[in-house]
Amino acid sequence: MAEDLNWAVGGEAGDGIDSTGKIFAQALSRAGRHVFTSKDFASRIRGGYTAYKIRTSVDQVQSVVDRLDILVALTQRTIDENLDELHEGSAIIYDGERSWEADIPDDAAAVDVPLKSLAEDAGGAIMRNIVALGAACEITSFDVEYLDEALEKRFGGKGSKIVENNKEAARLGQEYVQENYDLDLGYDLETTDNDYVLLNGNEAIGMGALAAGCRFYAGYPITPATSIMEYLTGRIEDYGGHVVQAEDELSAINMALGAARSGARSMTATSGAGIDLMTETFGLVATSETPLVITDVQRSGPSTGMPTKQEQGDLNMALYGGHGEVPRFIVTPTSISECFWKTVEAFNLAEKYQTPVFLVSDLAMSVTEQTFEPETFDMDDVEIDRGKLVDEDEVEEWLDSQGRFRAHAVTDDGVSPRAIPGTTEGAHMSTGLEHDELGRRTEEQDERVQQVDKRSRKVETAKEQEEWDYREFGDADADNLVISWGSNEGALIEALEYLEDDGIDVRIISVPYIFPRPDLSDEIDAADDTIVVECNATGQFADVIEHDVLTRVKRINKYTGVRFKADELADEIADKLSQEVPAQ
Amino acid sequence: MSSQSDVRFTDFKSDKQPTWCPGCGDFGTMNGMMKGLAETGNDPDNTFVVAGIGCSGKIGTYMHSYALHGVHGRALPVGTGVKMARPDIEVMVAGGDGDGYSIGSGHFVHAVRRNVDMSYVVMDNRIYGLTKGQASPTSRSDFETSTTPEGPKQPPVNPLALALASGATFIAQSFASDALRHQEIIQEAIEHDGFGFVNVFSPCVTFNDVDTYDYFRDSLVDLQEDEDHDATNYEDAKEVILDADKEYQGIMYQDENSVPYHEQHGVTEDMSEIPDGAPEDAMDLVREFY
Ligand SMILES: Cc1ncc(C[n+]2csc(CCOP(=O)(O)OP(=O)(O)O)c2C)c(N)n1
Ligand code: SF4
Ligand SMILES: [Mg+2]
Repeated sequence: MAEDLNWAVGGEAGDGIDSTGKIFAQALSRAGRHVFTSKDFASRIRGGYTAYKIRTSVDQVQSVVDRLDILVALTQRTIDENLDELHEGSAIIYDGERSWEADIPDDAAAVDVPLKSLAEDAGGAIMRNIVALGAACEITSFDVEYLDEALEKRFGGKGSKIVENNKEAARLGQEYVQENYDLDLGYDLETTDNDYVLLNGNEAIGMGALAAGCRFYAGYPITPATSIMEYLTGRIEDYGGHVVQAEDELSAINMALGAARSGARSMTATSGAGIDLMTETFGLVATSETPLVITDVQRSGPSTGMPTKQEQGDLNMALYGGHGEVPRFIVTPTSISECFWKTVEAFNLAEKYQTPVFLVSDLAMSVTEQTFEPETFDMDDVEIDRGKLVDEDEVEEWLDSQGRFRAHAVTDDGVSPRAIPGTTEGAHMSTGLEHDELGRRTEEQDERVQQVDKRSRKVETAKEQEEWDYREFGDADADNLVISWGSNEGALIEALEYLEDDGIDVRIISVPYIFPRPDLSDEIDAADDTIVVECNATGQFADVIEHDVLTRVKRINKYTGVRFKADELADEIADKLSQEVPAQ
Repeated sequence: MSSQSDVRFTDFKSDKQPTWCPGCGDFGTMNGMMKGLAETGNDPDNTFVVAGIGCSGKIGTYMHSYALHGVHGRALPVGTGVKMARPDIEVMVAGGDGDGYSIGSGHFVHAVRRNVDMSYVVMDNRIYGLTKGQASPTSRSDFETSTTPEGPKQPPVNPLALALASGATFIAQSFASDALRHQEIIQEAIEHDGFGFVNVFSPCVTFNDVDTYDYFRDSLVDLQEDEDHDATNYEDAKEVILDADKEYQGIMYQDENSVPYHEQHGVTEDMSEIPDGAPEDAMDLVREFY
């Protein structure tokens, strides 16, 4: 792999860290470099340390590592938080004129730039972060003109004066370093002619929803799901859709359900406590056989937990949430581009099987931006399958002898016809009560059993008709098997290189479906050692796998609130492989 | 869709016989709903009824239309979703006083504020009927029930005042047994441009021996007969709504300038129709991320 550069800007929440980082990421992307970003942040709007980190290379990057080359530090804490990642050859850009006395580690290059006063020269102190970006360009021999493009994109809407001032601020920073420092740290950012798009997992989910024909979204703000709602707002209208901010998640999921019963492709998304509230309605979605996509962007729990931290702790909730036995599908995208494709798939599954589909993503993916070739999201490959949606003519086939529509008809594949309001002769009721084929309440034993069986049969049909494949990386013949779900995939792929260097061959299986899920019995049988990697304390997926294959597996669990890093993961895998398998 | 003239109110009746107690107010309430829907030119195939949970919620089964009988207290959000996605469909939401003013009270406030163009019929019997006679949010403070042996000792919710305070554009009250007036009022609610809210006195003959047919017959004041009451006047509305001494029937308040949600937000499309693949210009969505 080509040389990578690890860059960060950090300060207090409210210092504009996020937009500064995003501008630099965009500039790199414009220069035809791949980018993978990550964020350290606190949930307070102002106060508290926050940082935006970028890993960039001319090759695809999909993980963070424990190394920092260039750090723009607006506070001492930014330096302190990253001491372990700084090394000989790192450069720290800071403003020595500011009140804090910077304590720079000995081996790093201290680049003192009067950020504030140079920003004032360019037209306002607010642009001090942009001055720092200019300085960073100089240190990395990166052409400022790429920064110009990113500034135009960021500030274009605010008028040319603002854009020009920002460009000037960047130049002042660049020139200051050029004139005052003679650094040769060896950083030389290569550029390419490639055009990349830069987006995060929530944007990919939102875009997937629009591509899939989602027209209605109801939600209640909660980190880290809100940005899906924000993405759709202002865009869904272009397609005749609407986003509504509900009074709570109880309402949001019921509104989404109402829209779905009206025939719209409909979605809600939430996280943490919000998914608990929505649990109330899971069973209704399933028994009324309503196609609905319910997105859970997992964050650290339980309760309010660590709202801005990573965790994959909701797998059991997705599998078992809701009283009674609720048929459902659980789709878990494993990368940012897969957030797009799995969203499209979720909408098709929902309508084909008239069943709730949980799209379970996680915080790490939702706030991470990554570059892709635009063709990764080739819209021509988007397929829409609306299942057994019947029109006025087809309704006829599904009427009983008295002309009543059999909305919950017991069929071989378990899927019934679906008539939406406005379809002549299709009028029917659906209910959370157990019901007969017409949707009318029943407690008659035969009918009850028929309906339960029919709903289960939909899952069986889906198991047969759909592909529930896993994604595979590394050495398919390796004796060591590592299994993961969700966003750990990127770090695992990059961990392969480190492991290879240590002479360890690994086969990686990344699972995007939790229910139904691929049967991994043969794969686990064939391996000497199996490790399940996930961001939770109890090993929820490992439990599921042990239950499936009746074998003990090794586990790597991380629940610090921070996602796995490639190098750290490689070390842990090597370490686990040297340990005994836990007792049966 | 059948044309207006062939629709009869019995078309809205399912063939399921109601299991309500003989004499239950819900019979009359439902009749008025069916007649109101038929009279306003709707037919079962373009009507969506959302029913709450309770004795009242059984209307979903006894009526014939597109319908959903969902989770206790969440009928209004469902109706909201149905209407937003399909402005062409007539939406009527109905449920009990417990469903609407207790477990669903949060949704009530916000549904009122949103002013979605649908009607909301609350079958208010001032009791929990289905769970066999516990206090409801509209029960009198001294009303003795199995869970409140000395009465709830809290004032009942005034749903009309709650609606007014939440920015309602249509507030009315009717009595299930006054068939003609009840139907007229329901019709007005359906025809109102916005959220048409009707609280219906719908006596529970089994568990409420206080708020009975006789009580309402004797005490009800019809605003139609009050020449001084101008429903379009907010102050007039406030006066009757806050009058704790009388039970009123009629339209308390109607905002003539009501702008329903779909107009306010430009939500006018039939959202059920989508292309066979991604929208034609969908690659523009990708290009935004350059
Ligand atoms: C979440 C939940 N809690 C409790 C119940 C039990 N329950 C069913 S109906 C009802 C009260 C109904 O009262 P109301 O809405 O006034 O309807 P009525 O039966 O009087 O028409 C309750 C508490 C339930 N179905 N769901
Ligand atoms: S219990 Fe009361 S509300 Fe329920 S059906 Fe009987 S009379 Fe009606
Ligand atoms: Mg009641």
